[in-house]
Amino acid sequence: MRQARPYSGIFCGGVSARTGPHALPLARIKKIMKRSAGETADGGARMISGEAPVVFSKACELFVAELTRRAWAATLEGKRRTVHREDVATAVHNTDLFDFLVDVVNADTAGGDDTHDVDDVGDGALG
Amino acid sequence: MSEAEAGGGSGSGAAGGKEQDRFLPIANIGRIMRRAVPENGKIAKDAKDCIQECVSEFISFITSEASDKCMKERRKTINGDDIIWSLGTLGFEEYVEALKIYLKNYREGDTKGSKSSDQNGKKQILLNGEPASSFDGM
Repeated sequence: MRQARPYSGIFCGGVSARTGPHALPLARIKKIMKRSAGETADGGARMISGEAPVVFSKACELFVAELTRRAWAATLEGKRRTVHREDVATAVHNTDLFDFLVDVVNADTAGGDDTHDVDDVGDGALG
Repeated sequence: MSEAEAGGGSGSGAAGGKEQDRFLPIANIGRIMRRAVPENGKIAKDAKDCIQECVSEFISFITSEASDKCMKERRKTINGDDIIWSLGTLGFEEYVEALKIYLKNYREGDTKGSKSSDQNGKKQILLNGEPASSFDGM
């Protein structure tokens, strides 16, 4: 089993809330944000403050944990012990909050990312 | 069998080029996932891949909302409060309180810096029970 090890770039210069260990790399988060950050009114790139990726690093942790827990519930229902992609898809379909992920989890099964043939949203989707 | 974990993703090993930049490192995601399932649970690689994609979509989803907010308020910079607000607006209210505290701690840590000069013991590094600033050397 791999051991946790410090992330380079995180532990330089002491541990504080600012440079303290974040589970996810802030620079990468910022890159992903920039793809959706759009433009300002005068056509310039929208700027992202240093704290925004920090908030996301925590938010993504919470998000991954929640989605995984729900996927695990689907795994258990299938009487298995290994979480697979289909369990994640089930979790997404069963949770209104994750509606925005429907295309993402369906993309793989249909081999493309504009699949619109999934019409049966599932039995418990409105729960 | 370790996935490309090139130094925590700080750009040192962009062997995958642009493709890697679209996602967070799978090793980090896998670690968080493993903590969310019991010890007897396992995570298949395809599940990690899927959630890796979902996280990027999550970031985009929230960021778009935050960006719209900034546009309406004629601000150029997306800040932490915008992200938290967007999460609340889009249904992730449960995350809001924890993130507010997290952001508050981050901001307080920022003004005090990493060399904690305050003596109230919040972030002091203690060596042998004494503050590091009074450490005399061995």
